[in-house]
Amino acid sequence: MRNYQGIIFAYREEPELRELTANRTAASLPFCGRYRLIDFPLSSLRNAGVLDVGVIMQRDYQSLLDHIGSGKAWDMALRSGGLRMLPPFGLPQYHNGNYNGTMEALNAVGAYLRDNSAENVIMMLGNTAANVDLSAAIRRYEESGAEALAICMDHIPMGVHHRYLTDGEGFVTGLSLYRHGEGEGFPSMEAYIFRKDVLLNLMDLCRANNQYLFHRDAITRFLNDGGRMAVYVHEGYANSVRSVEEYYDISRDMLKPEIRHQLFCRPVRAKTHEDVSTYYGENSRSVNSLVGDNCIIEGDVENCIIFSGVHVAAGARLRDCIIMKGCEVGAGVELNCVIADKACKFSPGSVLVGSPKLPTVVPKGTEI
Amino acid sequence: MKKSCIAMLLAGGQGSRLYALTQNVAKPSVPFGGKYRIIDFPLSNCANSGIDTVGVLTQYRPLQLNSYIGNGQPWDLDSSDGGVYILPPYLGAGEKGSWFTGTANAIYQNLGFIENYDPENVLILSGDHIYKMDYAKMLKEHLEKDAALTIAVQQVSMEEATRMGILNPGPDGYVEQFEEKPKHPKSDLASMGIYIFNWPKLRQALIEDENDPNSHKDFGKDIIPKMLAAGEKIWPYRFEGYWRDVGTITSLWDANMDMLSTTLINLYDPEWPIAARSPVCPPHYAGPSAQINHSIITEGCEVYGHVENSVLSPEVVVEPGAKVLYSVLMPGAVVKKGAVVEYAIVGEHTVIEEDAHVGGAPDGTDAWGVATCGPDITIRSGAVVPAGAMIYTGEEV
Repeated sequence: MRNYQGIIFAYREEPELRELTANRTAASLPFCGRYRLIDFPLSSLRNAGVLDVGVIMQRDYQSLLDHIGSGKAWDMALRSGGLRMLPPFGLPQYHNGNYNGTMEALNAVGAYLRDNSAENVIMMLGNTAANVDLSAAIRRYEESGAEALAICMDHIPMGVHHRYLTDGEGFVTGLSLYRHGEGEGFPSMEAYIFRKDVLLNLMDLCRANNQYLFHRDAITRFLNDGGRMAVYVHEGYANSVRSVEEYYDISRDMLKPEIRHQLFCRPVRAKTHEDVSTYYGENSRSVNSLVGDNCIIEGDVENCIIFSGVHVAAGARLRDCIIMKGCEVGAGVELNCVIADKACKFSPGSVLVGSPKLPTVVPKGTEI
Repeated sequence: MKKSCIAMLLAGGQGSRLYALTQNVAKPSVPFGGKYRIIDFPLSNCANSGIDTVGVLTQYRPLQLNSYIGNGQPWDLDSSDGGVYILPPYLGAGEKGSWFTGTANAIYQNLGFIENYDPENVLILSGDHIYKMDYAKMLKEHLEKDAALTIAVQQVSMEEATRMGILNPGPDGYVEQFEEKPKHPKSDLASMGIYIFNWPKLRQALIEDENDPNSHKDFGKDIIPKMLAAGEKIWPYRFEGYWRDVGTITSLWDANMDMLSTTLINLYDPEWPIAARSPVCPPHYAGPSAQINHSIITEGCEVYGHVENSVLSPEVVVEPGAKVLYSVLMPGAVVKKGAVVEYAIVGEHTVIEEDAHVGGAPDGTDAWGVATCGPDITIRSGAVVPAGAMIYTGEEV
């Protein structure tokens, strides 16, 4: 897909993710036992053959850089094109603070967009867990002849979202902002394909008018000016992670085999770092749980997501927990509804209990 | 550019004693220990020992091995002035080409490759051993002892010694005699088939041996005895630690079971990682009715049944009510509802249909053995594959 380039918005810290994004952005949040959220948009692009991809970052991108490396895991380590990490550059006003919105972020990397000869841009959020068939989306976009295509969901997502109203042909007739719960129209996945000249024009207009929000400012302007936008409905799982509660719920969705199989229906690529399988001890118990490689499980684990390199000692009892990479869970530890960030240590006998609606987050590297 | 030591890995053998498992692939690419293939062990040992140039001699069914090794990147064997190279037999201009006729001939045919690097020493390795060894320590001793050849040896029982190549050291510690499978062994130092040669001396020995019409072109049978006879210094390097030849079904099964014990070999040691080229799969899933004990489980597996004392490679499925005991399941194997697999090796992508029964527990007789199903087989619903059976790809069961 030489005529397409990808942009992934990976700069958002999503304050509702609290401690989980203390040192990372939402896009680099560890997910489903071995992935980072950004693996999903990267893999969707890779699976459609879109290998020129820019990742827009702003702050706390160390963990993102670490994870993505050269882009080799997605076949994006290319001599020409390939993966580009885009920290703030060019415009000094963006060096500090946060981008006010997507249009501001796009303007900050305008030079990158202009330098690439692809005529179309695919934009995706870095923190959406969805395995999108972009080849099908591109086909729909090309056949529609529209200047833009909105990728929408076939279900109402958790939390606030925008919805597109369409005519019988699947073209957008209106945008309904900041919706919640049931209602008419297709919920936006906040993923788009745009003709690049049209997008660049919108970027210029927004900047000239001091506007920065993608939906409220740019899309509304585009539709009001008579722009033609088609809708592609992604069938399958799609949810964005914007808060601890969403992270907990979306993670636990992965314990349902039908949802997991939907999300992994096309390959999801990620950095490989574990070179050893997981060992289960003589008296271990693991039920309805996902467990990464390089773990030693000697305790009792139920309804949990255990990332790689975790040791659960004998006599430990874990229920409804998410335990990230490299955690040590000592003998007799009891954890209930706990999200333990990377490399936490629970010394023998410690007890920590959260609730399903309010899981307890243990920040990275904590020793209890 | 001159290198102190490069490695040549003999990976061309057919592995005929693994029968159905090597019907279509070379022995070094047989899956092992969950995440690995056999060749991961010598390749990782090289990388961990600082040997950055490895020639892999292939011959028998090399396709899968070639794509597995690829550019060597998983083992960090992809440096710009070295790396891993696949060396198949080839034709020179005007020559009548030939397959490798023996282990020594395989190296002889690749003299040109070795000369490119002009090494001081050459490490010769087998592609069918499971062990963790720091070759740098062996090389250091080789240089200290000023040996023409250093052979890694392990102490074995006198009974085992009758089945192995035995080195008899003299009073000064250097090897005086080499005996292949002696009836009455004089020492308990068995050759592990791991050699470090002084390259100029090996080069000369290979050229002389190649011109000897009576030679088998074999390291054990020809090169080593000839070097001994010529009075060259041969040093036994004593290796203590886990080492297994996995050339037979029983030894392959045994060694897989050994991986369940970190006291035998610790695969979780970050100081000596064994690397593998592994597919990216979701973490393994233990279902609501899963029971997993004393087992190795790998990414991509889905376990709903009962797994005990077993080794599961990536993407193995064990359905509800299925039982897997004392078995080795290779990548993509599927055990359906109600099926039982015990004391068995199940090849890649082989499907054990509902209520089938593969293998059986040891009954104390000599006739008992591990049941083996090759890759890409379907064992039909309700079928019985008895202990010790060998099912080949293409067979109907």
